[in-house]
Amino acid sequence: MNWNILIFFYLALAMTFSSLLAIISRNPVHAVLWVVVMILHQAFLLYTLGSEFLTAVQIIVYAGAVLVLFLFVVYMINLRKEERWKVFVSKSSYGFIIFVVFLYLFFKNLAFLTALNPAFKVQLTYDLSQGSNLLWMARYLYSHYLFQFEVIGVILLVVIFGAVFLLRKLKEVG
Amino acid sequence: MDSTIIMFFSALVILLIAMFHVAYLTYAERKIIARMQQRLGPNRVGPRGLLQPIADVLKLIQKEDIIHPGVDRPIFAIAPLISLVCAASGLALIPLWDRFVLSNLNVGLLFILALSSLSAYGVILSGWASNSRYSFLGALRASAQVISYEIAMSLSLLSVVLMAGSFNLQDIVKAQLSTPYKIYLIPQIVAFFVFMVSALAETNRVPFDLPEAETELVAGYFTEYSGIRFAIFYLAEYFGMIVMSALAVTCFLGGYAGPFEVPGLPFIWFLIKVYAFLFFYIWVRATLPRYRYDQLMGLGWKVLIPLSLLNLFVTAFIKLLV
Repeated sequence: MNWNILIFFYLALAMTFSSLLAIISRNPVHAVLWVVVMILHQAFLLYTLGSEFLTAVQIIVYAGAVLVLFLFVVYMINLRKEERWKVFVSKSSYGFIIFVVFLYLFFKNLAFLTALNPAFKVQLTYDLSQGSNLLWMARYLYSHYLFQFEVIGVILLVVIFGAVFLLRKLKEVG
Repeated sequence: MDSTIIMFFSALVILLIAMFHVAYLTYAERKIIARMQQRLGPNRVGPRGLLQPIADVLKLIQKEDIIHPGVDRPIFAIAPLISLVCAASGLALIPLWDRFVLSNLNVGLLFILALSSLSAYGVILSGWASNSRYSFLGALRASAQVISYEIAMSLSLLSVVLMAGSFNLQDIVKAQLSTPYKIYLIPQIVAFFVFMVSALAETNRVPFDLPEAETELVAGYFTEYSGIRFAIFYLAEYFGMIVMSALAVTCFLGGYAGPFEVPGLPFIWFLIKVYAFLFFYIWVRATLPRYRYDQLMGLGWKVLIPLSLLNLFVTAFIKLLV
């Protein structure tokens, strides 16, 4: 047992429990906050894997922007009635079947046990002595994965156009 | 193990020095604004009122910590701490000297941006947890404002990153020193302008202090706070100012470097530059009136973001040609 494994287990447990709490919480604001906790742990997990850039981006994009917008939406809509509902889904048996399937998949892969194996090592396809993680990521993004990168850019642009278009339509109607 | 202990102690020393600066920043603010408004300012406690910040701190600690029954207790308690931690930990990444930076991260600049985006949570959560109309309005204003101005701020800093070719703040300072002007203020004057305006908005200072506009919202998001919790919010705001000033110094004014070396005082140029920025913050507060909310959003989205995008494109183009 070395420190890395302990830290990994802490992060994995914290992420699992915070995401569970996010689903269970009755209060929508508390639910969003548990997602924030989950994302911060996820960011730290990325940091332990040596990816500083992804850590920062994870925090800036998800915790700093997306979830603040979620909170904004939760504030705006009134959920008083929904908070008093006993159960959200009446047929819990379907949920149980899905849960069993996921449990099966989880134990089938048992990815977390490979981390316990002392012979297990993360295989890097690049050499960190030749430049930082950030540099390598930039190199891959702008050479090997350039096409995919550009496609994602176009998709995001289409999303923005879609949002503007929907807003226009709403304005014309009402 | 030794390096961990040394790190811990240097963090503690930096924190204490920063606390001292925060305390006397409040004094300086009151004195300077008083001078600008032709008043005297604090002058009762100690010579020239110099002990006023200490008296204020003692008073705030003694006050009763009122938590009214309608609040969401855990979030109400944790919100000021989120603000303070996010505002203060940025200091760890600022290179204070050639050989002294607490945490020399490769993506230091991105981490400061991440922390400043997280500090919005303190404001938003305190407003919601207080269960009060005024606090809630302040929180709503803050969340929209911080998100909008963060984009402009990141874009303006990206042009600095493009020029330096690194996210590491130490490298940014060194890259500046190798240019003919020694500072990025001259080639990046547009980015500097955008950065300063959005830094004012990020720290919720006048003229963008709509989340805590006392003439409209009592005190905005911290209306329901009292005693030590109120003091923590106050502390966080001033820490935010100091970190933003230090970031501006690092990215645009050549960091710790000065026109000549002062023997025995390695931090002196850094401090002088930071004080100049802090004076600018206070000066702005005494001079400008508050913006209306739609004007604030218009300025952010229609002026600052296009301007910083254009500046980024021009910088990238020039970098490509040279």
